[in-house]
Amino acid sequence: MSKNNFSKVVIVAKDEWRYWLRSKLAMTVLAIGLLLTLSSVVVTAITMHELSHTRNELQSNAEQSFAEQPDRHPHRMVHYGHYAFRTPTPLSTLDPGIDAYTGNSIFLEGHRQNSAMFAEQRQGTALTKLGSLTPAFIIQTLAPLLLILIGYSSISRERESQTLSYLLAQGTKGSTLIAGKGLALLCVVGLIIAPLAVSALFTLSACESLLAVVSFIVGYALYLSVWVLVVLLASSVFSKNSGSFTALAFVWILLCIVMPRVASTSASTAVPSAGKIETDFAVKAELRKLGDGHNTNDPAFKQFKQSLLEKYNVNSIDELPVNFRGLVASESEAKQTKVLNQFAEQRMQSELKQTQVSRYFGWVSPMVAIRTLSMIVVGTSIETHHRFLRETEQLRFDFVQGLNKVHIEVLDYQDDMNRNANTEATKKARVSAENWQVLQDFNFNVDSADVRAKRSVPAFLQLLLWIVVLVGGIKLVGKRLI
Amino acid sequence: MSYLITQLTREWGFLLRQKYLVVLLLCSFVLSGFAIYSGLSEVSAQQQTIERLKAADQSDRAKVQQKPDDPGMLAYYSFHLTYSQPSNLAFAALGERDIFPWKHRINLLAIEGQIYESDAQNAELAQAGKIDFVFVISALAPLVIILLFHDLYANERTSGRHDLLVTTAKSYFALWGARITVRFLAVIVCLMLPLFIGAFIAGASAFEIAYVSLLCIAYLAFWTALSVWWGKNATSAPRVASGLIGLWVLFAFIIPILGDLAISKSVHSPKGGDIMLTQREAVNDAWDLPKSATMQPFIKEYPALAPYIAMSSEFEWKWYYAFQQMGDLKAAPLSKAYRDAAAEKYDLAGVVSWFSPPFLLQRSLTRAAQTDSVAAYAYEQQIRDYHQQLREFYYPWLFYKGNPPKSVLNNMPRFEAIAK
Repeated sequence: MSKNNFSKVVIVAKDEWRYWLRSKLAMTVLAIGLLLTLSSVVVTAITMHELSHTRNELQSNAEQSFAEQPDRHPHRMVHYGHYAFRTPTPLSTLDPGIDAYTGNSIFLEGHRQNSAMFAEQRQGTALTKLGSLTPAFIIQTLAPLLLILIGYSSISRERESQTLSYLLAQGTKGSTLIAGKGLALLCVVGLIIAPLAVSALFTLSACESLLAVVSFIVGYALYLSVWVLVVLLASSVFSKNSGSFTALAFVWILLCIVMPRVASTSASTAVPSAGKIETDFAVKAELRKLGDGHNTNDPAFKQFKQSLLEKYNVNSIDELPVNFRGLVASESEAKQTKVLNQFAEQRMQSELKQTQVSRYFGWVSPMVAIRTLSMIVVGTSIETHHRFLRETEQLRFDFVQGLNKVHIEVLDYQDDMNRNANTEATKKARVSAENWQVLQDFNFNVDSADVRAKRSVPAFLQLLLWIVVLVGGIKLVGKRLI
Repeated sequence: MSYLITQLTREWGFLLRQKYLVVLLLCSFVLSGFAIYSGLSEVSAQQQTIERLKAADQSDRAKVQQKPDDPGMLAYYSFHLTYSQPSNLAFAALGERDIFPWKHRINLLAIEGQIYESDAQNAELAQAGKIDFVFVISALAPLVIILLFHDLYANERTSGRHDLLVTTAKSYFALWGARITVRFLAVIVCLMLPLFIGAFIAGASAFEIAYVSLLCIAYLAFWTALSVWWGKNATSAPRVASGLIGLWVLFAFIIPILGDLAISKSVHSPKGGDIMLTQREAVNDAWDLPKSATMQPFIKEYPALAPYIAMSSEFEWKWYYAFQQMGDLKAAPLSKAYRDAAAEKYDLAGVVSWFSPPFLLQRSLTRAAQTDSVAAYAYEQQIRDYHQQLREFYYPWLFYKGNPPKSVLNNMPRFEAIAK
């Protein structure tokens, strides 16, 4: 574009702004848009900070109360268990994603993998079923509507008031006119995104990576640009304001309100996933084969016993230099965990597959694309929850095996066997509370920015495809503008 | 009469000739159809899951019961299925069943430690929300109606026909009434027909359907009246539609969101985690306390078991289960406050819903279909009741009757009895 041409584009854009500044409707819409974005940014930031604070506190409380337990039998601590909490990521102040829909705490104990508990949504009012006051919702769903309300008549207005042919006859190219109107709308986009961008940049101070922040802002800019192009296209194609408006409203309903739900409904119909209870039957059947780790006489441990006797070159388990019960507990925990992890991995894979199906709808709805992109980049998508489950499982296994090690090495086998004889014997079958230091501090961190960026590539491509197609369409229309 | 029909046929002809109206109506029919279809398939999937679980639960427990004779071991390893069947109307209002669990397996350990476990659906899909009839009618239908009715007058005015039409028309009804009636009937048929077909397949009762239809038609009439009234004196159709869509955003998003914000700030609820912690501390502390610290409060709850609390070893199952129950007892006030807070929030949301017609409709329909949080909490109560029945079944065997013969196990309390 030549310099002369660009200055013309700017003139058109300025003129469009002058029109808006005089129009009550445009100003009201703009004011409402800014107010909504700003308040959502502030409200969500406060809520997420509070959540982050509470969960951090609960986490350190849990760690402290574990360490403060009195002298006990080590296996009792295995069942006493521990809690892990998922602290929100810095950027989640802008898109809480699935945070409220999955449990945010998990109880970790020996022999089982519990599911996450206490999803916030369960204590909710159901009032936010249609939408919530989060920047993500406001920008993804309502901002396009605002752009439509402001821009639906940008070209069709000129046509309706018969100024279009006049403009074209004076030598302004159709494409220049459209570009100018587009530039004006992009300024609106800039205004709407500004609070979001500022807030996103603030998370840099909370150690969020620049890559994530930039991809987040760019993603939303691309998304709203898609809508600017849609508005321009409709406004150029339709000869009347009312036609352009109706068509745009219809497209908005379809892409922003209907499509995300069609996507999730189709996904759960296309890839049915068995619930945890159902897969647990198979897990339990598998676990029963492994034997009960509390019972050293379980036939399942016969071979293990034999190999131990040979290893230590002794004739009976009483002569072992270590605690046999602890060894059995440790051995069975390792085997059980293998089975549990295998099933857990299967469940996560099928959940991912389901999610993938719903994400394919990003090719037909930019709203689905930005929703995916935003949650992935921010780290509030299903992948983050899976990471939380995997990390807490590692934490669980480590502390349980740590306690089993104490059981094996510190607690005398004879004392252990006699533990239920009388109160004195029970007291003797204990180890000192110093051993509870086996617990590692847990700090949940989301996947690195690179990983998240890589995951969001398909969503970026979806948005870019929309832009390419729309720009092509507008070029075609721009040439024949009358 | 024939006069009336002439007017309506004329308007019907006009409607069919306006392509975008036909497309709009067709789209609403397809969407409503899709919502009903996916609702039906979701409900049938839930029913099938429950049937499969029932069978698996039966055989799994049978396997567990083969091995140990000791009632303590039996109770530890036997899990019992509970479930909440979708109602006949659930296909139209899937409600909160994607957030609250509708299936659960419990054993005799402390209920507070188990009840918050959830077998929830894919969270990312739950966050996007599902498309069901309630969504189509409460959120989408107003938009369809706005698009259908906003240009009723403005269109005629911009085309310069308005005054001519008004002066030549025989009566108000002959012109506007007929047009409004035809469009209104068309939209009702397109949106509701799939519901009736779905109701027939799902076997919903005529009364239920009549109630739902009445609510929906009243709701649609409200939006129609609003749209017609709003556009009465307007000349610019987009201006009317902007105003109406603004109103829709206010009703569907802004008021509920603000209401939610206010409610969650004003209602204080104990944290779920605290219930769990209290219960866990109580249960774990019991191991180190003298046995009487558990047994004394326990026999206050079960005086009939008082003669059997003596223990001959440092570990006995009866004591183990007694302190499980005492853990529940200790967490009970918190747990009750937690549920009460949820109930209070639900009631307050009811107040807010009077200012938000879409939400009012959603609430009424999910209530009728028993898929709201009230139904979910009722199911939770059923689980608690069932757990209590299990306790009462096991305690005599644990305390004085000795090992139960296998035949007795067949007479264990069943959840089916409560579910009915």
